[in-house]
Amino acid sequence: MTRGTRFFLAGSAFVAVLGVGTGLVAYYNGGLPLGLSRGPQTDLAYIPADAAAVGHADVQAIMNSDFRQKLRQVLPTGEELGKFKEELGVDIEHDIHTVTAAYLGGDHPGIGNGVVIVRGNFNDVQIEGLATRHGAVAEEYKGKRVLAMAEPVGGAVTPDQLAAGQIVAGGHPVAAIAFLEPGVLALGEVAMVRKAIDAGPTGEELLKNVEMSALIDEVRGTGNAWFVARTEALAQHSGMPQEIMDHLPAVTMFAASVHVNGGLRGQLRAEARDDKAAEQLRDVIRGGLAAGKLVSGENPKMNAMLSSLQITGSGKTVGVAFSVPAEMLDLLNGVAAAHQLSTGSPIKK
Amino acid sequence: MADTPRPAPRATGFVYAAMRVFDLSIGEMLWSRRTVFMALVVGLPVLIAIVLRALQAMGAAPISVNNNAVTGPFIFGLMIWVFFLRFSVPVLGVFYGTSLIADEVEDKTITYLFTRPIPRGAILVGKYLAYLACTIFVVLPSVVVVWLLIVPMGGSLGANFMDLLKDLGLLALGLAVYGAVFALIGAAMKRPLLSGLVFVLGWEPIAVAMPGYLKRLSVAYYIQGLVPHAMPQNSPMSLIQDIFREVPGFAESLIWLVVIMVLCLWLAARTVTRREYVLEQ
Repeated sequence: MTRGTRFFLAGSAFVAVLGVGTGLVAYYNGGLPLGLSRGPQTDLAYIPADAAAVGHADVQAIMNSDFRQKLRQVLPTGEELGKFKEELGVDIEHDIHTVTAAYLGGDHPGIGNGVVIVRGNFNDVQIEGLATRHGAVAEEYKGKRVLAMAEPVGGAVTPDQLAAGQIVAGGHPVAAIAFLEPGVLALGEVAMVRKAIDAGPTGEELLKNVEMSALIDEVRGTGNAWFVARTEALAQHSGMPQEIMDHLPAVTMFAASVHVNGGLRGQLRAEARDDKAAEQLRDVIRGGLAAGKLVSGENPKMNAMLSSLQITGSGKTVGVAFSVPAEMLDLLNGVAAAHQLSTGSPIKK
Repeated sequence: MADTPRPAPRATGFVYAAMRVFDLSIGEMLWSRRTVFMALVVGLPVLIAIVLRALQAMGAAPISVNNNAVTGPFIFGLMIWVFFLRFSVPVLGVFYGTSLIADEVEDKTITYLFTRPIPRGAILVGKYLAYLACTIFVVLPSVVVVWLLIVPMGGSLGANFMDLLKDLGLLALGLAVYGAVFALIGAAMKRPLLSGLVFVLGWEPIAVAMPGYLKRLSVAYYIQGLVPHAMPQNSPMSLIQDIFREVPGFAESLIWLVVIMVLCLWLAARTVTRREYVLEQ
């Protein structure tokens, strides 16, 4: 073997080993330092690694969609939105860009184990002023401003209690809001908000949860709103009805995504424990679809919508794809307009 | 001092002989014109990966199909399927595998090999190992580079690492099986390159798409049974799945691929041992 051949083989082996080694480090760490493992992860920022369920919605894309415009004609806007804007200076339709929510299972029992990360245009001073007027106490946690809003057992929160975490031990979750960075807020129970601050802005923390991040990778590109959950971790402390809990062991992972545009298109996906459980789940869905068709009778629109439901997946994967066409919304608009005419209320344009 | 007759050289062992032929052949194979072709074949996916990554860095809108953004792991899975498994691996197998013996016959140098005190079968096995090393050392680094460039576009390296390992194993196995099949064709047929191209570009695509048992007479049928990517449902990838809906199980595919490889290699070595190659003057 010549020297050149040896150099070539050594070089090739070096490239392959370097790449595989990089993958191995990423596999065990969930990510690579210096942001080398992937592009920006703004949608996963501040989400702790032990999340049992994560959901994300591109609110602005949904609000700007034709679907939303059609839905607006059907649904009332409400005065609460106006109040919200007046008090907080936040127009939900225009100022909120994305919302990411996580539920932390495992060692954190209780329904208050969620944290919501909201991105948008916020007036921090106005929000803090309103919170303080309602008795919120401010603290600095790792350089971020946190406002604890609720009153625990035994009276109002004091800064000392907040710092010592005594308010959580009192048994009442304390709602908190944190200003993570300009235009980014965290909402949730104070301990959860602190965990979000601990997780940091890179989104790399959640990548350490390989199982969860693999599932997120599969659904995040398929719609402008998605949700993934590890059902076992989710069920542990969620307070779900026993009837549902009994069936959960058959499903290990659950994912859903929706793409809102002219119409509504989405998919639900579940990873069953084994092939048999998956087949049973498919049978249940088929039965549900058949019952739906029976009930809908000769209604062509409803039949069209039910026909758009497709059962997909093979092996342990069970999926359902669905779509609500824009025509269906036009039909709803027509029904709403007829109802408003009959009641004499003005029709929204 | 009386002249003592020089003892006849002892026949070399099969493995040692094969390794000597391997050592001799790998350099020849690596620095041949075929390597330029191989570099083009495996360089194209790398080039596409660089372009996609550059576009992303410049802030271009992500690729989308039916308004769905396509993520890096999906693109990587598609590239493995289309560029490597369906094209590069069989074509490299044809070009290198058929030439193992045919080139020596064409260059009229096979006589020099056959006159050495080594088993004839070891010549083929040595050359086959050289082909395997040559292609694996070019194709696998290319796949790793594509993976490093593409998967981070909306995907996680850690989460997709196991799929990479399966892909690398699958490609190595594919190169080994196709190489063995075409080594046999090269050893047994007069115009092996043409026959090989007909097999890869004509027979296999038709056989795999045909209903019935015909597909079992192709390598591609068993290769696709090992493709590890859980291809997303309700996506363009599911169209590919629909085309190749009937795929064998993992164990069945693996067993058959190993059987095909060993059988073809044994038959090729047997053919080289028994066949009398007539060199054209």
